[in-house]
Amino acid sequence: MAPPAEVLAVRGLSKSFPGVRALDDVDLTLHPGEVHALIGENGAGKSTLIKLLTGVYRPDAGDIVFQGDKVSFATPLEAQKAGISTIYQEVNLIPLLSVARNLFLGREPRNRFGLLDSARMNREAEQALGAYGVRVDVRRPLRALGVGAQQMVALARAVASEARIVIMDEPTSSLEPREVETLFSVIRRLRDEGIAVVYVSHRLDELYAVCDTVTVLRDGRRVHHGRLADLDRLSLVSTMLGRELGEVRREGLTKFTGGHHATDSRPVLEARGLTVPHTLHEVSVSIRPGEVVGLGGLLGSGRTETAKAVSGALPTSSGSITVAGIPLRGGSTPAAIRAGISLLPEDRKSEGIVPGLSVRENISLAVLPRLSRFGLVSEARVDSIVDTFVERLRIKASSPRQKVGELSGGNQQKVLLARWLAMNPKVLLLDEPTRGIDVGAKAEVQKLVDELAADGLGVLLISSDLEELIEGSDRVVVLKDGAVVGELTGDEVTEDKLMRTIAGHSPDGDAVEEAATDG
Amino acid sequence: MAEAALRTAPLDKARALQWLQKYGVYAGVALLLVVNIAITPHFLSAENFRTQAVQVAPVIIVALGMALVIGTEGVDLSVGAVMALAASVTALYLGYGLVPALLVVAVFAAAVGLANGALVALVGVQPIVATLALMVGGRGVALVLLPQLQDLRNPQLASLGSGDVLGIPYLILIAAGLALLVAFVVRRTTFGRQLLAIGDSRPAAQLAGLPVRRVLILVYVICALLAAVAGVLATARLQASDPTSLGNLMELSAITAVVVGGTPLTGGRVNIAGTVAGAVLIQLLTATLIKHDLPPSWTQIAQAVVIVAAVYAARGRGKR
Amino acid sequence: MQRTTHRSRLLARPVVVALAAAVALTATSCAKSEDDASDGKKSPAAAADSEQKVVTPKPGSKTCTIDAYGGEKIDLKGATVGFSQSEKEANPFRIAETQSIKDEAEKRGVELLTANAQSQFSKQISDVQDLLAKGADLLVIAPLNSDGWDPVLQAAAAKKVPIVTIDRKINATACKDYVSFIASDFVEQGRRAADQMIEATDGKGEVAILLGSAGNNVTTERTKGFKERVAEKAPGLKVVFEQTGDFTREKGQQVTEQLIQSKPGIKGIYAENDEMGLGAVAALKGAGKKAGDIRIVTVDGTRNAVQGVVDGWISGVIESNPRFGPLAFQTLDTFTQGKEVPQDVVIQDSAYDADNAEQDLGKAY
Repeated sequence: MAPPAEVLAVRGLSKSFPGVRALDDVDLTLHPGEVHALIGENGAGKSTLIKLLTGVYRPDAGDIVFQGDKVSFATPLEAQKAGISTIYQEVNLIPLLSVARNLFLGREPRNRFGLLDSARMNREAEQALGAYGVRVDVRRPLRALGVGAQQMVALARAVASEARIVIMDEPTSSLEPREVETLFSVIRRLRDEGIAVVYVSHRLDELYAVCDTVTVLRDGRRVHHGRLADLDRLSLVSTMLGRELGEVRREGLTKFTGGHHATDSRPVLEARGLTVPHTLHEVSVSIRPGEVVGLGGLLGSGRTETAKAVSGALPTSSGSITVAGIPLRGGSTPAAIRAGISLLPEDRKSEGIVPGLSVRENISLAVLPRLSRFGLVSEARVDSIVDTFVERLRIKASSPRQKVGELSGGNQQKVLLARWLAMNPKVLLLDEPTRGIDVGAKAEVQKLVDELAADGLGVLLISSDLEELIEGSDRVVVLKDGAVVGELTGDEVTEDKLMRTIAGHSPDGDAVEEAATDG
Repeated sequence: MAEAALRTAPLDKARALQWLQKYGVYAGVALLLVVNIAITPHFLSAENFRTQAVQVAPVIIVALGMALVIGTEGVDLSVGAVMALAASVTALYLGYGLVPALLVVAVFAAAVGLANGALVALVGVQPIVATLALMVGGRGVALVLLPQLQDLRNPQLASLGSGDVLGIPYLILIAAGLALLVAFVVRRTTFGRQLLAIGDSRPAAQLAGLPVRRVLILVYVICALLAAVAGVLATARLQASDPTSLGNLMELSAITAVVVGGTPLTGGRVNIAGTVAGAVLIQLLTATLIKHDLPPSWTQIAQAVVIVAAVYAARGRGKR
Repeated sequence: MQRTTHRSRLLARPVVVALAAAVALTATSCAKSEDDASDGKKSPAAAADSEQKVVTPKPGSKTCTIDAYGGEKIDLKGATVGFSQSEKEANPFRIAETQSIKDEAEKRGVELLTANAQSQFSKQISDVQDLLAKGADLLVIAPLNSDGWDPVLQAAAAKKVPIVTIDRKINATACKDYVSFIASDFVEQGRRAADQMIEATDGKGEVAILLGSAGNNVTTERTKGFKERVAEKAPGLKVVFEQTGDFTREKGQQVTEQLIQSKPGIKGIYAENDEMGLGAVAALKGAGKKAGDIRIVTVDGTRNAVQGVVDGWISGVIESNPRFGPLAFQTLDTFTQGKEVPQDVVIQDSAYDADNAEQDLGKAY
């Protein structure tokens, strides 16, 4: 029987979790030697698809045909043995074992007594790694290597175990530029050897540098597939985000009234050149009182990290922050809070609310020392603050004593807002303030942001919801791969301009011809 | 969504479990009292209650500190060693008088607490590992300071161990006073609320700007100081300093009291009344078995049953 | 430029200060024990007075000679003896035991090498191997365990070094792997304690036993001897309560407190070591009892317990003599001269009661 043209054929794959249809009738075809980009925003279904392919999850419906046979892997190990290897962002090897042992884990060469043949193993490990430009002492423990080199070992291991398909999940997130180049040359070698690669990344440059074909997922569905060269960057971004090109909407869909007026020309927050290794490069943002500044960009572009760096939660290696003209010592959350910076974190459930404590205790958490004398809490003052904000933000709870963990997402978000408003902040950093909350609460939160800005607060708004970002912001700073690539002001604040900026076009709309691939 | 699922679970069972979580330990204490009054000769006497209270007092005091540590999602294995250390140091410095000796004890205990707290809060060592070091090392230091049991004949110390006010022994008064104080700290102070928030969600507490490290260190210092108080009181009662055996397995008794009393090991909640009741429950259980001259191994089995029951009752409320 | 290098700034300094203070307090040794003045070092003369006496070997009991064991005669005087102690000298028994070996070695002009295993068996094995390597001609071992001695025994046999074990037997063949085993007879101690109890209570009434640690052969044997003798001699005496006090004073006190409340009619308490007995005394005092209300008999013979006899709180103390020095060296001397020695040397322990406690207090360890 002639070998099938494709190495992998996925048909109608679906997977649901309670309340969520994570993957809906998705097809995917891979040919030998194909480098296939798999892209999509948060929640698009990329991880679910990968986990279905590698036996972590079982599909609800659909077939996976691998090398002509219908397969159903029970475990990742089974998938790996069959020839589908995965390299995750985090290296999943054993740090204390030697490099060579890691490379040959589970298939160590044996001598004729059935014992480990160390000499042969080390020799072969050196050869294998040498092929990827990694020259290290393979007898040293893996953890002694840099992250990039560890990534290479993981890669070499994946390939050495006779993989037919290698899935790379954001493999470059912790690599230096030089290491990225090495990785690309390895990928090209794999391609020449007829191995199919699934490449997941948010970095457009990388995609266009190595990928031949592309599948775009959105909300669990496949919304586009085909040759990557046929899809320019702008179309790619708009497909991912689900926005039509040229669609210009400035107002109407959200509760933002738009048109805030900065009351003061001096910025209340000025962040200059914030740098976090591997994450942020010289990011600068300034916000004036009464102004809502949006942070635009794709997933992984450094939006959340910028907010965390400003709020002291992420230590920076260089850069400066001033609040109302006063320099702030970086890397300290309490110092940032004292200076008047408040962060509403993206991950509300694990970094925002304290689920087992009551509404009352959550609201008063940060402001508690100010309501206390000699460490004793003044219950009356706590009650008065809590009552004020429960009323003002219309927090719906059976009583202030109800546990926050039992509230709806929208009310949890309001409790967090109340926690910060009680501190009388100067700057509010809102990271996805309306994600995962119902429509009504969303509108309320949006309206509240407007009101707060009108009261003179400086607001930094991060949102994956383009409408929200465009309509809510007076200005949008666009990030890409951890650096500022543009800023939209006034009439430029449109979805169209935003997508063009993300895609690498200059904000004024002049199409720049892309050097889509370089090899 | 998870809460919704929980609510639709069979109501009777869920309610029974909830009741057990809240009042199980008190019901257990009441049951043991009733059973003992019915079947144990001479149980219903002031003398007997006094004995049980005096014996359980040091356990309660240690358990109070343990409850705070567990409230931060930690654990302190070094409490028994701190008791031994307190005993040694008391014996060594008693020549200067009781008060100076107690001050030196406090310095030693605070040093142990600081070391534990620094390892946990600053270095980021797992509490069970951090405090294991001093569980072993602390007793070692105690034995270096005082290699063997020494009788103490200090009238002040003796009166601390066996004296009373209006018929109520100092030991009981001190334990009760400390329990009220710790309950007050948990409920009414900034420190208490911050402690619970840190135990419930450390990332959230950090982002809310709480002084996480300071609170954690202070919690371990308080725990060590309470253990030292218990060590001094036990020494006073024995009128001898016995660093070889004083406080042996105390960490387990204290953890048991805390857990049986309804404080989840996952942190974020501290039940002081329950902790006291938990210690009393174990004391009554042990006393019952001893008074009826049942084999000592039964005590261990009975304790295990109580712990399993407590853990069963705590099911589903710990992890979120 | 704002940098972020403030980790561990919070409380690092107070930690250092407090630790330094704690260390300083000990290091400058300004410690002042309450008992510094009153309770000085025990007089070495007391030890000399109370040498162990051998129970006359029963006719037909097994003996050992150097010819049977292998090796050469040597003069003990001038020889090197290695002593391996099992536990830290943290209780009166171990302190007296080690001291007795040292004193006797000095008296006989023997060079003594000592090692302490600190309750770690692996350390004891390497201790003994070290002693052999350092040139010990003879070995005295207080074993921590009975099993696991093969490597040491082989090493000793290779060098033909005679071994005497004291206070605990090792599982090996006498007169082949080692020469003799010297110890108290714990069952006999239990019997003698029963005798004292019968005398103190006139053989009538209810008594309690404070057991030692569970699973310990000393506990088992002291219990066995006591019960045997009571059953045999005083059927009127009933053992109605047996609870463990773990050989500690605190547990002895706590268990006794429970006992005297639930069984107020109890006539006597047999404590399987002195510490639990002293705990029982503390419990009785705390309950407002007077000396002699409840009769207490204990085993060991430490100074505190014998003082308790003098004060009238304890009726009798059976000694478990730790002073193995004279007997161990006597055995080695006889053996190295080529004469016959018993394989099991059982020693006679003395006893203290109201008649002799005051005058013999100095002999207690």
